[in-house]
Parts: sequence; structure tokens; C-alpha cells
Amino acid sequence: MSAPSSYRNWPILLVLSLVSLPLMIMCLYSVIDAFTDTGPGTLLPARVTLEHFRFLWEPVAEGRGSIWTATANTFIFAATSALVVTMVSLTAGYALSRLNFPARGFFLAGLIVLHAFPTITLIIAIFLILQMLGLYDTLIGVIVVKTALELPLGIWIMKGFYDTVPWEIEMAGVQDGASRAAVWWHLVLPQVQPGLMALILFSFLSGWSEYILPQVLAPGSEAQVLSTYLNSLILDDTKADFNLFKAVGLFYAAPVVVIYLFFQKHLMNIYGGGTKG
Amino acid sequence: MRRVNWLGLAFLSPALVMVALFFLLPVVLTGFFAFTNMSTATGVTGGEYLLNTATLRSLADDGLPKDMLEKLASGGYRVDAEGLAALAAATTAATAAEMDRLHGGAEFAERRDMERALKDLRDNAIRKTRERKAAADLFKRSILNERFADEAQFAAALAETGIAPTHAAEITAGAYTGWAWTTENVSLLFALPSTLRYAANTALYVTLTLAFSVGFGLFLAITTFYLPKGQATTFRAIWFLPRILPPVLYVMMWRWFTWDTGFLATFSGYFGMSPKNWMLDTSYHAWTAVVLINGFVGSSMGMIIFSSAIRAIPTSMLLASEVDGASRWQQVRWIILPQLSWPILFITCYQTLSLLTSFEYILLATDGGPGRSTEVWSLAAYHTALNNYGGNLEYGLGAAFALVLVVMGLLASLLYFRLFNFKRLITTPLIEG
Repeated sequence: MSAPSSYRNWPILLVLSLVSLPLMIMCLYSVIDAFTDTGPGTLLPARVTLEHFRFLWEPVAEGRGSIWTATANTFIFAATSALVVTMVSLTAGYALSRLNFPARGFFLAGLIVLHAFPTITLIIAIFLILQMLGLYDTLIGVIVVKTALELPLGIWIMKGFYDTVPWEIEMAGVQDGASRAAVWWHLVLPQVQPGLMALILFSFLSGWSEYILPQVLAPGSEAQVLSTYLNSLILDDTKADFNLFKAVGLFYAAPVVVIYLFFQKHLMNIYGGGTKG
Repeated sequence: MRRVNWLGLAFLSPALVMVALFFLLPVVLTGFFAFTNMSTATGVTGGEYLLNTATLRSLADDGLPKDMLEKLASGGYRVDAEGLAALAAATTAATAAEMDRLHGGAEFAERRDMERALKDLRDNAIRKTRERKAAADLFKRSILNERFADEAQFAAALAETGIAPTHAAEITAGAYTGWAWTTENVSLLFALPSTLRYAANTALYVTLTLAFSVGFGLFLAITTFYLPKGQATTFRAIWFLPRILPPVLYVMMWRWFTWDTGFLATFSGYFGMSPKNWMLDTSYHAWTAVVLINGFVGSSMGMIIFSSAIRAIPTSMLLASEVDGASRWQQVRWIILPQLSWPILFITCYQTLSLLTSFEYILLATDGGPGRSTEVWSLAAYHTALNNYGGNLEYGLGAAFALVLVVMGLLASLLYFRLFNFKRLITTPLIEG
């Protein structure tokens, strides 16, 4: 609905603009500073330049990997984990939502309990497990771990989408003699396609943004992803070159913003309600 | 009659395998690791047996008798069959035979004495210093600084030094370089004053951030509700950014905003203030930054959920109150807020748990500084086990820190089951029903 209109708007607008100012300044200057040079002690840019984007065609410093390796790694990392999470959640979510099998309540409860363990409580043990498996410092290791950690949320979200599909569709299918698996494949899957889309995008963005896992489990330059690349730039520099950081940051954030702009409706399904308990 | 559908288990199995391997196993292992002394020094696999001066010192602290320590430390030389055979191979059989005749079974505490005995052989004296030193080494029966792959070898060598068997076990345990089971981590957690500090920091962090997230999230949801659609969408989009931007990038923007060459410093410079780092200047600055950085992300989530809850309120209620002359404040207080009690409870529960265990933004922003003033529990676990300046990563102690969080997570989810009516979630499927 649109809000009641008899109240005045401008006080709200004013207050909201004021509190949003810091965030707007941060975002605005991220773009401005990436394309301009600014002298010390002033906020007004002096000249426009593309120099801060030099990282695209040459290494930023001696011994630093190319950004394209990091980009490729990030893409592989995010895409693989998103695909696996979605495929596994697709079946598991359906089972939990619709099928009656032994210990179903136990699995559902377990899912919620797992949801209560964010990465960090487990990362020390995972670090040691990967070392024992010999998967430490490899992209594969990080992908597998990320996928497993993302699964409970993925299954939960997918279960939520299945829950909204009307039972009549399946009833009709079963009545006509189709097996449950066939009903799932032919009748139910088309119904949850928006959810499927949302989950893929959501897990992709989650992988794209992930920092702690690659940082801890694959600190070497081979498996570097964009988040660790950017952060090592920030930590490494004695004199902080924020123009460079912001240029790299824009490059890093571009897919996120694009995906968000195009698929806002899909994503809102998850950000807005998917985590509903 | 309810039928059991085995397809369900088949559908679930891929998820079960992955979750068991990298979710359940780590939880269980965290419990195990918490009771070991694993660290960089001990490694994560097995170890070897090695006595060196450092081990001797810690054995002395544990009250090993002094004469025994000296015996271990001084090493010593013994003319035994094994040494003589080696000597015969290195020099001549005659030398070995003479050595056996003169000094067979003798023991020398000092290297000097051993070498003199070799030098003073009547017929076959070893004159070259280098050869004599090499020959003396053949009789060396000390186990100091020597590496042994397993316990049996070490025990054999230890027996050779003539150490009384009563203390052998103690020395063996001390010489082991691998990890061992211990309950020290837990007692250490209770004993260290810094633990209390981390707990207090965590409580402060969770309380302040949660209050900010819920309060500011409500503020954003309610104010944008009263704005025309276009303006509301714009502001929601702006405030959605903290949630979707990658953490590294989001914190980098904050760094720039607060750094001593960044926005706040430059802006206040216009008014003649000297530049300073607004994030790390004092612990108050750091806390403000930490709460705001995390709070913006939290209120981003709050805003979305509160907004959709407000939209679910029947318009007629709002219009009716307006006709009755309610002010905007009254409308918010008596109509909107009561409808939001459930979402507020949900956000509070959800975020308490994630704030307790999250540290990514703090790590990126202040890294627990300045000093240790913003070091929260989970960050302490991370620093102890995975990243510290000392270089010796204490996996065992770190796991003990993490174990506390695991236990709290379990307790919290039990509580949430009661709060959020778990039964409602497991309504039975209709087809088998």
C-alpha cells in the first residue's frame, strides 16, 4: 500500500537523508576516487585519470599475482559452490518439505541447529581436517568447505520455496499414476524455478564475497580470490593508496551490483523472507 | 495408514554426506581438539622424541632429581661392545682390541677424558685430532639432541644411558614433540584474565550492535514506509548496500571514511582540526566504529524484514486511526509497533547468535585493536589458533575457545525451538498422511 498521505513528508526525508549521508558519501567517493586524483587536504578531485585501473594490465607491485588469476579463481569458487549447493538443496529441500521418511523431524531439527553454527566455530577443526586430507591451500578444499557450510541455509531456503507449492498439483499427478520422483521432476520443479534462480544467485554472491574461508584455508597466491587479493593490498601498503583500493573495489563489486540490479526481485525472496525461522 | 517414503532418504543423502563431513565432523573434532595441546610446534599429526636443553629445563621444573638431569645433560662415554666394533671398523681391529683390554667397560663423563684414553693407547695411539674426535664419538652414549622416530627406540636409548626406570616414563613424556591429550586448555580459559576481558567485550559488542540494528532497522522501515514509493525505494536500496557489498570492500570504505587521510580527517581539517585516525584513535573510537559497521549490516537485514511486516498491516487500520485524529507518533506506537513484536523477536534471536560468533567485520576493521580493546571471543579464537604475531598457533586452545561457542549455539537453538514452536515446522506431508 502507499502510506497515508495526510502527514507531511519533508521532516522524514530530511532526517533520513542526514543519517544516510555517511553511507552515501562512502559509496559516492568510491566511484569518484577510482577515476580521479585528489590532492592532500581537500575533498575536491583535481583531475580525471584511468591510472588507478592499471592493475588490469600489469601487476600492482613486484611479486603480486595478476588480478585475472584472482578473478578466475573467484568465479570458479563462487560458481561451483553455488551450483552444487543449489543441486543438493533441490532434492534435499523437497524431501524435507514433502516426503514422509524415517526421522524426518530429526533431520529438520538438525538443519535448524546447524544453521546456528556460523563458519567460525568450525573453522579451526576444518583447517586441521584439510591439512590432514592434504587439501590445505587448494581451491578445491575451499570450494568443498564453502559448499558444505552453505548447504543448511540453502536447503532451508529451498524447503521454504517448496512449501509454497500447492499440494493439489502433486495430488493430481499421483492420482494419475505418476511416481513421486516423476511428479517432482515434471510438476513441482517448474513451480519452484524462481526459487531455484534466487538460490543460485544468492549462493553465487555469497561465494563471491567470502573472505574468511579463502584467507584461512588457502592463503597461498595460487588459490587467491578477489577478497583476499584486495585485503592483502590494503594491509600491505604502508602508505594507503585508497584510489587504487577503490578501483580494485569497483572491479570486485561490479558483478554484485549488476546481479543485484537485474535480479532484485528474485533476491528479495531470500534476503527478505528466506531466513524466516 | 501412513506410508514411509524411502525416496525421501535418497533425496536427502547427498546433503547428508556433505553436511556430515564438513559440518558435523568439525563440530565433534572441535570437541576433541579442545582437549589437546596441538599447536604449530607439535604439528597436527604424530611427533618424534627429542631431548634438548629446553626439555631438560621443563623436566627440572617438574622436579626431576638433579643427578639424573646431569646424567642426561652431560651425556657421557662408555666403552662397550657396540662402540668397539665401530672402532674396529673405523680404524684397525688391533686398536679396538687394545682399547678393550685397557678400558673395556669403562665410563667417561667428559669428552676430554674419552679422547685422552684414545690418545694414550700404547701401541695404537690415535694421534690425529680429527680422527680421535671421530673415534670418541663412536663411544658417545648420550641421547641429548638426538631424534627418535618412535617410543621404543627412545626407550632403548634411554635405558642405555643408565637412567633409573622409575623416571623413564616422565622423561619419555617430556621428550615427545607431538601433541597429547590435556585438560589444560579448559583450566587456562578459566585462569587467564584476558578470557574475562574477551567475554566482557563480546557481551558489550552483542548488546550494543543488537540494540543499534533493531532500533535503526525499525527506524528505517517505519520512515521509508511513510515516504512516497520512489523515495522509499531509493533509501531502501542505499541501506541495502551494507548487506550485499562484499565485507572486504565495505570495510575498506569505512577505513577510507575514518582513516587519518580519509574523509572525516580531511573534512574536520577544513575547521582547523588536526587529522587523526577516527577508527583507531582511542578504544571509544574503535568501539563506535565496530558497532556502526556491524550495526549498518544488521539494520539492513532488519529493515527488509520489518518493512515486509509493516506492509502486511491492513490499510484500513491505519486510515481509521488517521480519521480518528491520531498523530503519526501515535500511529507508530499503537498500531505499527505492536504488529512488529514477532519480527523483532525473530531478529533479536537470529542476530544474537550470529553476532556472538561473527568477527569478520571486526577482523577487517580494527583487528581487535587498539591493543585488545575490541577483541571479542570469536576473534580471540581466530587469533589464538589461526593467526597471531607470535607465530605459534595454538590449535588446542583455540578449539577450546570455539567449543564454548559451539555449546552456546546448541543451547540457543534449543531455546529457539521452544520460542518458535518447532511442531509447526514438521506438519506431516499430505500425500502419505
